[in-house]
Amino acid sequence: MKIKTLLSLFLVVILVFALAACGGQTAEEEGTDEPATLTVVNWKDYGSDNADFVAAFEAENNCKIVHVYMSSEEELLTKLKTAKDGDIDVCLPNCTILPSAINDGLLLELDTTKLTNFDSLYDRFKVQEESFKDGKMYSVPWVWGSTAIAYNTDEIAAPPSSVSILFDPEYAGKIAIRDDFNDAVMLAAIVLGQDPNNPSDLDAIKAKLIEQKPLNKTYWKTGDEFSKLFAGNQVAVGLMWSGQAAFMKQDGQPIGFVVPEDGAIGWVDTWGIAKGSQNPDLAYKFIDAVISEEFQYDWASTGGPAPVNKDAGEQIDPVYAASCGMDEESLNRLYFMQYRTDDVKKAWNELWTEVKAN
Amino acid sequence: MKKKKKLLTFPSIIVLTVFAILPLIIMLVYSFQSDSGSSGVTLENYTNFFLKSVYLKLTYRTIINSLAVTIISLIISYPLAYFMAKKFKGLKNIVMILILIPFFTNQLVRVYSWLIFLQDGGVLNSFLQSVGLIEGSLGILFTQGAVVIGLVHAFFPYMVITIYLALERVDNSLLEASSSLGASKVRTFFQVVLPLSMPGVVTGIMIVFVPCLGTFVEPRILGGVNGTVIGTVIEDQFFEIYGWNFGAAIAFVLFAMVIISMTGLSRIGRRYDNE
Repeated sequence: MKIKTLLSLFLVVILVFALAACGGQTAEEEGTDEPATLTVVNWKDYGSDNADFVAAFEAENNCKIVHVYMSSEEELLTKLKTAKDGDIDVCLPNCTILPSAINDGLLLELDTTKLTNFDSLYDRFKVQEESFKDGKMYSVPWVWGSTAIAYNTDEIAAPPSSVSILFDPEYAGKIAIRDDFNDAVMLAAIVLGQDPNNPSDLDAIKAKLIEQKPLNKTYWKTGDEFSKLFAGNQVAVGLMWSGQAAFMKQDGQPIGFVVPEDGAIGWVDTWGIAKGSQNPDLAYKFIDAVISEEFQYDWASTGGPAPVNKDAGEQIDPVYAASCGMDEESLNRLYFMQYRTDDVKKAWNELWTEVKAN
Repeated sequence: MKKKKKLLTFPSIIVLTVFAILPLIIMLVYSFQSDSGSSGVTLENYTNFFLKSVYLKLTYRTIINSLAVTIISLIISYPLAYFMAKKFKGLKNIVMILILIPFFTNQLVRVYSWLIFLQDGGVLNSFLQSVGLIEGSLGILFTQGAVVIGLVHAFFPYMVITIYLALERVDNSLLEASSSLGASKVRTFFQVVLPLSMPGVVTGIMIVFVPCLGTFVEPRILGGVNGTVIGTVIEDQFFEIYGWNFGAAIAFVLFAMVIISMTGLSRIGRRYDNE
């Protein structure tokens, strides 16, 4: 009897504390509400939280930038859905979740005439399909990158001209593609001549991947894992991220990176203004600053991802640009990853599980 | 007095409720909801699991792997535990520390060590080549064999400890009695020592087999293209496609398998307890 009473008492205390904690937090947030604060949701250490940039922007616009970090695209969606007006000003959705955010009315329609640097974007990014709904633009592309062919320049002299090198028995046991359903399905679709974003024949893709399976040394999961296998001469060619390949090249490994003629997989991060933003003008200024030639050149030439600003792109050393797939030619060959519904993700993941279980 | 003793179990009861039983109930609720957004209770996750051959195939592979790990661990552990309990005197503690070292090693460090040790051109490969046992590359990394090796290394200490504890409790005077009655050493072992140590063996099998069913790190890293097991499928559901409901359902199927094997094993164990 006594134990039961104690137990319920304990639970009551816990509940009260939990509720109090929740209440306290919101009160605090309301208390620090200053007029010129710009809240930015982005990945940690991802360009916009560079200390020099933040200091310069704050001084110029007499404001304060507060960064809130996200750890997944899904988390960003949740943050936008649960935020109160003014909690978030600008955020960085990528193209895979952008349609969800726009359809749920989480982003403000943009007026690109307020962005002085918009005209400098590569043409294809001015009309980025996912940023639009009913002809209205809701987000501005910022940086992009690719998942394409990395190869050992000691063993493979000329850059591979097709992703079919990953299906070539000549390199059996020296290939490594990533353990990722999206990469695998898109890769097989490119080889089979299907639309990588809307493949027509999933059974053919599954058969192709099963055929490719024994050629792999392994399916890699982390960039570090691939790097070690590559350095140890266990793997000569594989599917790799442009950023990781650039990093490995700087590390002195004999690695080449190429977006082959038949294409590869690309991604785009874009900036949007949250619906409830109290400082839309400041938000426009912020976006304008991060798509400027200076910002984009500085970041891309010091190990950042590829710029959307054409003037910045053209300034980058062409050898460096080509070596990490940042050049315009590579850009035009990419199939950018599009938004996928839960049902599509589920079907692709199941297909990939079947390949792995085979 | 009794009441006071009961009070001492209070913290553990609360910890268990909040951190084990409640989450389990939440997961169970998830497993009966649809991933495609429609609300209400549904059995679709479970039917999907049992109707698609791929999941049954992976479950089968997982069970076979875990059985292999358990049997190999038993073969390694029993003699070791026997010598520690009955033969080694001063050496016992040193051997025990050596066995416990894998416990103190971070799981990822341990797995990556095996990766380096087993890879083609790695330590084991070079050694076997230099003594002339093999030519060319070993080719064991990225196979199920590598996964089993990694898991045996991770789990066999549990088995050694449980069997050792059971063997130490076997009274040496029983062994003397057996031999003075004319039994050979072999007969003494099979008729006296082995039956008396069976509770330790059964516990060891439980402690090794059960966690093996759910592992995903060793299969993922050491298994290569053939490393997929039911644990990695669950991981993919949670981290790749946010299919929490289906992931929870698979986890519960696994949980049911654990309960069934535990019940079976403890039945066997009880038989020896009664003797």
